[in-house]
Amino acid sequence: MKLKREISEINIIGVNEVTKTYLGGTFTAVDNVSLNIKEGEIVAFVGPSGCGKTTVMRMVAGLETPTTGGIQVSGHNVQGPGPDRGMIFQAYTSFPWLTARQNVEYGMKILGVSAAERRERAQKLLEEVHLIAAADKYPAELSGGMKQRVAIARTLAQKPEVLLMDEPFGALDAQVRWEMQEMMVEIMDVEKKTVIMVTHDIQEAIYMADRIVFYTRTPGRIKEDVYMDFKKGHRFTSKEDLLSQPGYLEIEKQMFAWMREEIQLQAA
Amino acid sequence: MNSVQGRKMSDTSIKAGNPELTKKRDKPKNLQLLVTLSGKQTMTYGLIGALVFFGLWEVAHLLTAEEAKRFLPSPLSVVQALITLFQEKDYMADVGISAYRIFGSFFIACVIAVPLGILMGCFAPIRALINPVISGARYLPAASFIPLLLVWFGPTDSQKMALLVLGVVFFLIALILDNTEAVAKELIEAAQTMGASRREIVINVVGRAASPAIMDSMRNMIAVAYTYLVIAEIVAAQDGIGAVMMRAGRFLKVDVIMAGILTIGIMGVLTDIVFRVAAHYAFPWNRKRKG
Repeated sequence: MKLKREISEINIIGVNEVTKTYLGGTFTAVDNVSLNIKEGEIVAFVGPSGCGKTTVMRMVAGLETPTTGGIQVSGHNVQGPGPDRGMIFQAYTSFPWLTARQNVEYGMKILGVSAAERRERAQKLLEEVHLIAAADKYPAELSGGMKQRVAIARTLAQKPEVLLMDEPFGALDAQVRWEMQEMMVEIMDVEKKTVIMVTHDIQEAIYMADRIVFYTRTPGRIKEDVYMDFKKGHRFTSKEDLLSQPGYLEIEKQMFAWMREEIQLQAA
Repeated sequence: MNSVQGRKMSDTSIKAGNPELTKKRDKPKNLQLLVTLSGKQTMTYGLIGALVFFGLWEVAHLLTAEEAKRFLPSPLSVVQALITLFQEKDYMADVGISAYRIFGSFFIACVIAVPLGILMGCFAPIRALINPVISGARYLPAASFIPLLLVWFGPTDSQKMALLVLGVVFFLIALILDNTEAVAKELIEAAQTMGASRREIVINVVGRAASPAIMDSMRNMIAVAYTYLVIAEIVAAQDGIGAVMMRAGRFLKVDVIMAGILTIGIMGVLTDIVFRVAAHYAFPWNRKRKG
């Protein structure tokens, strides 16, 4: 099934000439990166390992500070982490001492949402991520995919403007990853968030994203910034639909070629 | 292709049907790696171990020359001595005062170590400020403070409890620091991105996440506190299990000394059980999954 994607013309995220160095300036992880992301866009950051894509996203989250340059989200300078930018990590971050439901309610509790509204919204989100049957279990009793769904529901419960996902399905096995990708596309159709997703799974990026920002190997610069025009303004609820779309193979081949270029540059 | 497959199959069937080989594989069944025991089996093994220990003790007692037997009394006479202590020597009061010293001083040590360890684990400047002193202090034998404590407090309860506190508090801080640092950084970052305050994160994220490990550290360190109990009660003490043992030693009443050791052992085991049971109910989310 095809879903219409809705992207406004308003830039919600602005990354302006951002550079990040470590070790007292001797190591440059991110080199002069600028990009604007429109409200409603799903953008994938792709590139070889160690290319600084995660660093850029962590700077948008406010978990790291740019050495030079600045980042704006919804017109405000990013000063630190905040609930307007929800983040989903590769490592499981659902709190082990809370049940799935309590986890989803936790973020809302932090924001001072009333108990009645918390319960209602948690119920709705647990349904959305297909976790109602396990709602009162502790994370230790859940599979990796289920833990990640708890984290997604918990983040969405705070109604963030921007969703940041750092290799969210990287720790999951292939089948679960695929289920999660499809579920995420459906959720995005309901929740309509601006998303940055870091991944090195090329197919995942092409399937989920409206736009792919490809980074060069150290120091991280933007190598290519491509829109998934072959999707003709749609998102697909199944991977088969994507694969049968004309133009899919060309873009995947292109991505692999870029990836190979970067890896060989490093080896040379 | 087919013939290769056929040969392979017949090979395996010969191996599987060979009783010699089957027997060989079965032999080390009881000592296989990664094999777990049921609760009942564990109890049985524990009981056998204890019986063997007391049996060997009894045998050693029987083999000892008659005139030396008082230096190695039989297990039963130690139990007899213990009963006599309770019935005739108001031993309960001594056990009580020892328990008070142990638990009181351990409580004080925890009140110092838990917040300090967590704060050190959370904040690098606090860690850098305090860690050198703590790490050094761990290498000082607590017993070497006895003269100082005697000068400061006199031969009082406070002196004994101070020794017990000194004996465990530095280790406890170091362990709790480790427990806190072991909390996954992503849990903290996730809380930060949700807008949790620093206070909320320290108490309700790091504190909660580390609590089962902290409980474990406490359980291990109270065992160390028991080892200092006797040291504390040997010097300038009129009451407590250690004092009873010291007095018995002066009259070569080995059965009473051993009864004291037995008392401390039993108290230790009971304390351990209390900690385990408390952890089981306090952290239902951390229970090991069955199967």
